[in-house]
Amino acid sequence: MKNDNNKILLVDNEADIALAFKIGLEDSGFTVDAFNDPFEALSNFKAGFYDLLLLDIKMPNMNGIEFYQQMKEIDKRVKVCFITASEMHYYEEIGKEIFPTLGVRRLIRKPIKIDDLVKDLREELKSVNHNNNNHN
Amino acid sequence: MDTILHFLSISDRIDSCGDYKAPSLIIEVEAYKKLLLDLKANGIKLRYITDITKDNIQYCKELLKFAKEIRHLDDIRANFSVSETEYMASATLQEEEQQHIPQVIYSNVKDLVGQQKYVFESLWNKSIPADQRFREIEDGIEAEIFEVLNNSERVSQILLDLAKSAKRELLIHLPNVKSLERLERLGVIDYTINASQNGAIVRMICPLSAGNSRIVKKITDNAPAIKILNGNNSPYGMYIVDGEKVIRAELKEPNAEKFSESIGFAVYSNSRRSVESFRSVFDLLWNERMLNEELKRADKMQKEFINIASHELRTPTQAILSYSELLQKHPERKEEMIQAMSRNAARLQKLTDDILDVTRIESETLMLKIEPLNLNDLISNIVEDYRNQIERNDDDVRLFYEPQTTDSGSIIVEADRARIIQVISNLLSNALKFTKKEEGGSIYVTAEEEGEEKENHGSKRQEVIVSVKDTGKGIDPEIMPRLFTKFATKSETGTGLGLFICKSIIEVHGGRIWAENNNEGTKKGAIFSFSLPLNKKQQQQQHQQYTMTSERRK
Repeated sequence: MKNDNNKILLVDNEADIALAFKIGLEDSGFTVDAFNDPFEALSNFKAGFYDLLLLDIKMPNMNGIEFYQQMKEIDKRVKVCFITASEMHYYEEIGKEIFPTLGVRRLIRKPIKIDDLVKDLREELKSVNHNNNNHN
Repeated sequence: MDTILHFLSISDRIDSCGDYKAPSLIIEVEAYKKLLLDLKANGIKLRYITDITKDNIQYCKELLKFAKEIRHLDDIRANFSVSETEYMASATLQEEEQQHIPQVIYSNVKDLVGQQKYVFESLWNKSIPADQRFREIEDGIEAEIFEVLNNSERVSQILLDLAKSAKRELLIHLPNVKSLERLERLGVIDYTINASQNGAIVRMICPLSAGNSRIVKKITDNAPAIKILNGNNSPYGMYIVDGEKVIRAELKEPNAEKFSESIGFAVYSNSRRSVESFRSVFDLLWNERMLNEELKRADKMQKEFINIASHELRTPTQAILSYSELLQKHPERKEEMIQAMSRNAARLQKLTDDILDVTRIESETLMLKIEPLNLNDLISNIVEDYRNQIERNDDDVRLFYEPQTTDSGSIIVEADRARIIQVISNLLSNALKFTKKEEGGSIYVTAEEEGEEKENHGSKRQEVIVSVKDTGKGIDPEIMPRLFTKFATKSETGTGLGLFICKSIIEVHGGRIWAENNNEGTKKGAIFSFSLPLNKKQQQQQHQQYTMTSERRK
């Protein structure tokens, strides 16, 4: 097992899924903080601490996209992957407008096997952070 | 001619009537005109009934110089005269014999004359005085106009006057997004709002976008009765007032700021036929736009259904899939993971059942197995199950059932047992979900028999009302109006189908379901109630009707 020691902040309102992903990602060497409530995640967030955010989109009170917009106010460098169980075209429609302005490139579809999720996250972590270039 | 002269000369009074063409004939044909002069000279009193129209009004006024009294009767077709002793009627149609003295029927038979006098008096009593008719025509109807206008300032002025004059109805069709701004600048929108506020029915078709949303908001804020539908761009605009006047202008400069600069030729008319034809064009457009909006709404709802259903299906699937992967690597957490898997499998099954129920409801193939039920026992059993569940989960909630003590101690309804259990369980689960978040919450279930005073087929309608009252946070006012529609949920674990299914089940049983927030003093929480009819006969009827519908559909 490769030890990335990359720090991931995971927010998913579905407690069962958040826990499963946390266990699975930790098995692959990531350090994971998981939250079910976006507000709680936001109040525990520290700039520069996480390498990547893994965010569910459809959550009560605050959706993942709104959450990320607030997160970026605090940490401009942090990378992000969105994950959703909704119809992809639904978010692709929204995504066309919002995602490029936020520097979002990866939208992951549920259900996904943990191995595939790990692969996706590693690819995203390796990629050049356009986000950075846009905002600095 | 001699007959006519004779007829006229021996009488001292004559009652006569003629169709709408007669007045012009009498005045314009020399021979008749002379007769009139003779009548007047000999002091013979003429009472005359005709159809006074805006075309013959001048002739009627002329005729009034010779007749004692003229009255108007809509669409009168008779052409006859009657004196004390004689009767005369034209025997040929005037269309054929415009300029000649027509052939006449003449009689001095007493009975016939008497009959005709009676006919004339009847018509006379139905008719209205000429003066009144003259006023109606002169005040109400202007001369017919069909004008082609190329002076755009004049078109602006006419449009403003029309908007100002609208009393009953305004139909507006605008060619592009900017036309609404131009009309506002011209002042037409303000008059349109006024017209609506004063009771005129206003319908508007206009291309809508962010560019004119401010004005649309102004309209809907000030005159919510104005109906606006989104339209396509069009090469002309149209304004129809009170079904009486129309102005239709072609759009020459779509991006002009001023109305007068935007238009080309315009047509202005008050002719009934042209207004009617423009109106039917407007109605066609309106119906097409309505249909379009309905389709869009249906399409959006369909997409929403698929999106939510797929989210709700994939979420538990993800959990089951992940834990089945992790189980092998983490035997130490086996118990916890199996519980999570079974929890999510149950959620998947519930959703599948709900979606199947919704499909049955929407295709009207929901079958009921109607049998006599004792609601008292049924609720007691369900409540007992829930008490056990609360105890098992160590939830801080107390659950009460307060059955109404009737003479027999039972509340009998005719219903489908499984479906009624489904409804009550759904209401209890919702109550529990929102109550266990609060400290020391309670849920109260009640069932009360009530006799409605409303007469229904001669018999009093009896019903039972079951209520589930909780001390949770209550119903979000935002969601209240669509509480019983599909996918209305504020909870993260609900499918949003439960209350929709409950409503359908209760309504199929001939009952009603409703929800309110508890407003008693400082208490809060939600109250969900449903009614079921107690009248057996009515109940059976409804069952039969429903199964018949269902069978026919199969």
